Amino acid sequence: MVNKKLIHELLHENNCSHSDKKKSSCDKPKPGATSGGCAFEGAQIALFPYADAVHLVHAPATCIGASWETRETPTSFKGFNNTKTGYCTQVVANDIIFGGTQKLEDAIAYLLEHKDPQAVFVYETCVTAMIGDDMDNVCARMQKRSGVPVVPVHAPGFVGSKNLGSRLAGETVLEYLIGTKEPEQIHPYGINLIGEYNVTGDMWQYTPLLEEIGIKVVSTLAGDGRIENIRQAHRAKLNVIVCAKSLESLTRKMQERYGIPYISISFYGMRDTTNAIMSIVNAFGDEKLIAKAKEVTAREEKLLQKRLQPYRKVLQGKKAILNTGGNKSWSIASALQDIGMEVVATSIRKATLEDIEIAKQYVPVLMKVPANEQAKLIDEHGVDILLAGGRSLYTAIKKKIAFVDVNQEKEISYGAYEGLVNLAKDVCDAVNNKVFQTVGKDAPWSE
Amino acid sequence: MERIEKPLTLNPIKLSQPMGAMLAFLGVKNCMPLMHGAQGCASFSKVFFTRHFCDPIAVQTTAVNDITAVIDGGERSISEAIENITKKVTPDLVGLFTTGMTETKGDDIKGATYLLRDKQKIAYVHTPDFEGSFESGWAAVQQALIKQLVHQSKYSDKSKVALLPNVSMTPYEVECVKNALAQLGLECFALPDLSTSLDGHLGLKQGALSSDGISTQEIEKLGECGLVLTVGASVKSGGELLRKKCTKMQHLHFDSLSGLEASDLFYKQLLDYTGHKKPPRSVIHWRKRLQDAMLDTHFVLGSTKLALSLEPDQSYALAGALQEAGGNIETIVLGQKGEYDFDALSKNVRIGDFEDIEALLPKADAFIGNYHGHRLCKNAGKVHILRGFPNYEEVGNQLKSDILYEGSARLLFEVANSVKLAAH
Repeated sequence: MVNKKLIHELLHENNCSHSDKKKSSCDKPKPGATSGGCAFEGAQIALFPYADAVHLVHAPATCIGASWETRETPTSFKGFNNTKTGYCTQVVANDIIFGGTQKLEDAIAYLLEHKDPQAVFVYETCVTAMIGDDMDNVCARMQKRSGVPVVPVHAPGFVGSKNLGSRLAGETVLEYLIGTKEPEQIHPYGINLIGEYNVTGDMWQYTPLLEEIGIKVVSTLAGDGRIENIRQAHRAKLNVIVCAKSLESLTRKMQERYGIPYISISFYGMRDTTNAIMSIVNAFGDEKLIAKAKEVTAREEKLLQKRLQPYRKVLQGKKAILNTGGNKSWSIASALQDIGMEVVATSIRKATLEDIEIAKQYVPVLMKVPANEQAKLIDEHGVDILLAGGRSLYTAIKKKIAFVDVNQEKEISYGAYEGLVNLAKDVCDAVNNKVFQTVGKDAPWSE
Repeated sequence: MERIEKPLTLNPIKLSQPMGAMLAFLGVKNCMPLMHGAQGCASFSKVFFTRHFCDPIAVQTTAVNDITAVIDGGERSISEAIENITKKVTPDLVGLFTTGMTETKGDDIKGATYLLRDKQKIAYVHTPDFEGSFESGWAAVQQALIKQLVHQSKYSDKSKVALLPNVSMTPYEVECVKNALAQLGLECFALPDLSTSLDGHLGLKQGALSSDGISTQEIEKLGECGLVLTVGASVKSGGELLRKKCTKMQHLHFDSLSGLEASDLFYKQLLDYTGHKKPPRSVIHWRKRLQDAMLDTHFVLGSTKLALSLEPDQSYALAGALQEAGGNIETIVLGQKGEYDFDALSKNVRIGDFEDIEALLPKADAFIGNYHGHRLCKNAGKVHILRGFPNYEEVGNQLKSDILYEGSARLLFEVANSVKLAAH
């Protein structure tokens, strides 16, 4: 069953700085004026990176048929990679009339027998929520029979946005998995990485550094994650929320239940990465750890500066406008500044109040309606490069300036120190690319 | 091969009915496809087509939520959506189509459309994703547009042709048929027409509405066409439906336009229709090139075992064209049934998913199918020729053509070359 009380609570999270004022992603979506994914997609984003768990979607064709094998969240798991696999009960008209519970039970039984999963997540969707299939009952029964956690995820699309779905997924993990297994050893500097999905391997850019310093990643939700680890997450000493406000309810509850404090950080750009690492060691307060972290970050920064040198020659002082959403509105701006660029303006159209507060500290001009403002700003400031979504491409071509599609599914990581080199290379390639000078030229027959 | 019957789908081949409907509405000029369901259905589909076509995609959603799902019979969220859409843009048509959830509720979209008739021209269509497929969703939109928009006509213009392509025809393939007809002196109206909307041209497109396509005025006048052409079994009944708008209209149906025999049949029937003795010289020459291509490729194709997984219409067309030049169709795996005698093309035809394809791949040399085959082929060391939806690996998908003499020749070369290159 969809838990209305929980949804209400998640939408009014006390620890969210926006909770007194409404913000768009928490509102009910507006018919005819909505973009962005549903709660099911949010749950999918949060949990699918667990490659050792089966993700069974109890739905007709669209939900998973259009979305399987689309997430670039790599895993080091050596077994069968379930993240890239689309499991679907394929609900048809007959199930709508007679109910899909039996079908669901058969599917779970088959998966438990043939796929040897560490857990089975069963995702409720709009249609199966409406026909009232009793998923909780089926899951409980199958778990009892097999001893493998079979976890119902109640985030059908129509309860709300992607953001809400991620929260519901976090709550599900808390209720069904966290604390269900005791570790053999408790590490004094063990952390959980919450809301880090390891998109394009972002996480792997910094976890080796944390390990070198002496921090142990106990579990993740859910980048390169393992079910076994998240079940032991209650024995970590610190929760680290990475670039994702959506899971703050989860960490607050873990603090209440298990006494685990939490911090919220970002690993985009040099300054933020160093700050992030220092925040973690400062939270532990151990002198040795802090000293080691200072040493490692100083070494990495120095190394990075050297590697950025060739790109700086091209990019130093170049002016950029950034038009993207969420935390990218400031995190990429900060990263661009680290490369030596000047960020003239950034869009806050799709940012939360919190993101806007942070963006203010990095960028002088905040665009509320970038579609109307960015062309003018390009002229006024002599901007060299526009970093935006595909829709803004035409603006760049008309103005004959370089363009980077920051919303496109990227294939390489921009995270942490090493990722900054990737970003610098991409921006550099765009600035050097002749296409933006030539493609927009008038046709010989134009007037 | 032993196949374990399983009570679920693992890595589905089947694409949903509302997605087929959405694509069809994108071939109507200044149209806003409006998906009646939760926001995720529209969002997933939008991302899917944006990545496939590398272009902005217009779509809106009625954003049904858990409350309106219970208390609203559809008219409220639909009228609210129309109000919000028309605040920003002025569509010539709103293409309203349903999803599994709103069909489970049993919303009265016809009634909702009727109540809004003075505010906005709307075409409505029922496309639950718990039945039908990508092909049937597309065909349902064609039929809805014919029923709801096309005027009854007393006279017919022999020089005008209505074309009903199937969902798997690329924008450029639609253009190829239009050009072939133009060469015979016929003006062609494709319903829908992706050849001008999703063909990937640089324009001032913001993706707020479909950028081009067949206009609603043109649709209304389709009853005046002297001929309706249908390509692919999934759209055949649409042709019959259009013929009801004018008794003088002729209907020519082609299951396929790929390969020598299919192309010959196309030109024979059309020459009969126009009364021409011969097609233009370029066509005659392309036929000879195709003959030569068949001979140049027959040796490689004759020793190649092919596995295929596409929508039924495209599977039938490509399997036929490749078999004609000696290709061995080892297996065809379909997401849903088609209305063809596939058994004549291959001994191993089944309804299944990508897990089945993975199990069958060792017996084949090359696989023709969508992006999801890429990883499987890489792991199994097989050649992958990308066709169908989605194709996230390649750019320029909208400009591929496997039809008529030229497209067929290029298809044979592509398959033979890919196999040869991989062998060396």
